Amino acid sequence: MSDWPTATIYPDHAWCGPTEVVENVAIARDTYRVRFGCPQLAAEILPGQFLMLRLAGTDDPLLGRPLAMYDVVLDGGRPWGVDVVYLAVGKLTRRLAACRAGDRLEVWGPLGNGFRPTGAEHLVMIGGGIGQTPFYALGQEALGRSYGRTDRGGRAARRVTLCYGARTAALLAGIDDFRSAGIEVQVATDDGSAGHHGLVSDLIEPLVGGSGPAASLVCCGPEPMLKTVSRIAQRLGVPCQVSLETPMACGMGICFSCVTKVRDGRGGWDYRRTCVEGPVFDAEKIDFD
Amino acid sequence: MDVDLRVQLGRLALCNPVMVASGTFGYAREMAGLVDLGRLGAIVPKTITRDPRMGNRPPRTVETAAGMLNSIGLDNDGLETFLQKQFPYLAGLGCAIVVSVAGRSHDDFVYLVERLGGVPGIAALELNISCPNVSGGVDFGTDPAMCERVVRGARGVCDLPILAKLTPNVTSVTAIAQAAAGGGADAVSLINTCLGMAVDWRRRRPRLGNVLGGLSGPAIKPIALRAVYQVARAVDIPIIGVGGIASVDDCMEFLVAGASAVQVGTANFYRPAVTMEILDALPGAIAELGASSVAGVVGTLETANGTGGGCPPPAAQGKMDQPITRKSFRYT
Ligand SMILES: Cc1cc2nc3c(=O)[nH]c(=O)nc-3n(C[C@H](O)[C@H](O)[C@H](O)COP(=O)(O)OP(=O)(O)OC[C@H]3O[C@@H](n4cnc5c(N)ncnc54)[C@H](O)[C@@H]3O)c2cc1C
Ligand SMILES: Cc1cc2nc3c(=O)[nH]c(=O)nc-3n(C[C@H](O)[C@H](O)[C@H](O)COP(=O)(O)O)c2cc1C
Ligand code: FES
Repeated sequence: MSDWPTATIYPDHAWCGPTEVVENVAIARDTYRVRFGCPQLAAEILPGQFLMLRLAGTDDPLLGRPLAMYDVVLDGGRPWGVDVVYLAVGKLTRRLAACRAGDRLEVWGPLGNGFRPTGAEHLVMIGGGIGQTPFYALGQEALGRSYGRTDRGGRAARRVTLCYGARTAALLAGIDDFRSAGIEVQVATDDGSAGHHGLVSDLIEPLVGGSGPAASLVCCGPEPMLKTVSRIAQRLGVPCQVSLETPMACGMGICFSCVTKVRDGRGGWDYRRTCVEGPVFDAEKIDFD
Repeated sequence: MDVDLRVQLGRLALCNPVMVASGTFGYAREMAGLVDLGRLGAIVPKTITRDPRMGNRPPRTVETAAGMLNSIGLDNDGLETFLQKQFPYLAGLGCAIVVSVAGRSHDDFVYLVERLGGVPGIAALELNISCPNVSGGVDFGTDPAMCERVVRGARGVCDLPILAKLTPNVTSVTAIAQAAAGGGADAVSLINTCLGMAVDWRRRRPRLGNVLGGLSGPAIKPIALRAVYQVARAVDIPIIGVGGIASVDDCMEFLVAGASAVQVGTANFYRPAVTMEILDALPGAIAELGASSVAGVVGTLETANGTGGGCPPPAAQGKMDQPITRKSFRYT
């Protein structure tokens, strides 16, 4: 591939500091939206970039956790804070779920590369599990809102669709947000409790196949899903970006723990740091096996 | 009161005692947006080996109580790529660069040291004879005779100050430190990570891809302090304290216990600007002890058996302000 090695995005414009929970509300089963103020970070962060978050004043949990920007909160039209939507799964996220307004957090970001604007007429965003979180901002950007300090020219889509897969209806989070932003939502659940009874990847071909407007896929979720979606994209000949949820210890490129197998374009692969070369990759660059 | 932060580690002079530990700060470029790199006492970039190494399979880290395990496995692009791609940036930072090297064999170490000895802009070399994640390298850190020989071999082929980074995973860390001193090390860095593991019992699986890994972070600070204290009483060369340092208090604990400088490791991951916070607060903390220099607090620990740490002459006891002189080590 011509641009090997993948570009490395250092956190040169990152802000790091203490902040406070403004609100922390349940929006689905085990799923919460937390809001905190961080004007410098909010002014820079792009769809698909993430931040590291930790609880202040404790060494357990010790490390920050990577969380995607769900949305930038404005105050008088200016970026003021960030919303993060998270699933309470473990040590930190369960403790975070119990946080109230005024509780202290430490955050740093923006981190990672974020999605590349696709310029496609039809942006199809495929989210599995909690993997829908980066798509609220990305979908809004594609429909005309801007994020960050420079215009990325991300506003080209005539249609934006979220294909959202979850185990069950109770876990679906933020669908109203997406719909009111003008994003179409199609749902698939493993148990058939909402939408299509089956895999979210089943929804793609009817949307993208055939003679519709030029489409581009973006995908975030568990690895088996990313793998399936990449295969579909390849078969249909549509571009596809995937955002990986690799566990991270620092998020800044200094620990080399978040490595993933990235193809080198010569038939081989190398371990590359997901936090600074990703988390978004062109699907064909990832070696999923 | 003006506090003198300069420290002397054998032949290596630093403008302050706050360094960043190898493997916990990448190649520094990553942190340029979050840390004023030029303020650091020294940067020790990620350990390099003669040839590129892929590193271990993921998961490479897992969090544990107040700490983390890692089994990165010295993932690096090798010596020549480091010199071409990473070193020019580091050399331009105006901060001391201590290059960390690891070899599988004696000859590997000697080769690396000889090659780097000819590169302008390096302040010192740190021999990583303590990485628990690669077979081979650690023998130099567990066998005193091998340790002494590799340090002497390094001294013999290069004029740069040589630091030896030691593992705590031995019966007697003092025996290894004495061997390093005997081989001519300018200073020893104590400690590398403590070998450990984590288990996911539900899946009957180890949590690290490599099964075993090195424990770091606040959880190992007492072990590191113990190592520094013991070694300070047994050798005459300066000690660089490493292990769980995340605040100015931690830093002061190490200095008082006998370290002449410190390296901040895991804390960089979860408090990116921690080194700047330590540097801001350090002069005040030193002054609080009535001292006016780093040397004035090093090894001033008072125990029931007298002042501990670096075996200061009896006259220095109770006179904190007076730098404690060590018997200087003679290089042969
Ligand atoms: C770029 C990025 C963006 C993300 N965005 C979001 C988001 O917007 N919302 C959201 O909810 N989540 C997001 N995640 C996932 C989130 O980071 C994790 O859910 C979070 O770290 C869990 O932390 P915890 O302390 O609650 O769980 P932990 O106690 O750390 O672990 C929770 C679960 O994860 C498993 N686990 C932990 N470490 C590993 C490992 N090394 N390998 C395999 N399994 C492991 C554990 O076994 C356990 O089942 C994102 C991840 C990345 C990389
Ligand atoms: C992810 C990680 C990678 C490390 N890599 C290296 C390395 O390449 N070379 C080395 O000498 N030490 C390495 N270390 C050890 C640290 O430099 C340090 O000695 C140890 O972590 C203890 O300090 P801490 O508790 O402050 O982290 C690594 C530690 C961690 C956590
Ligand atoms: S999370 Fe530390 S290098 Fe990526």
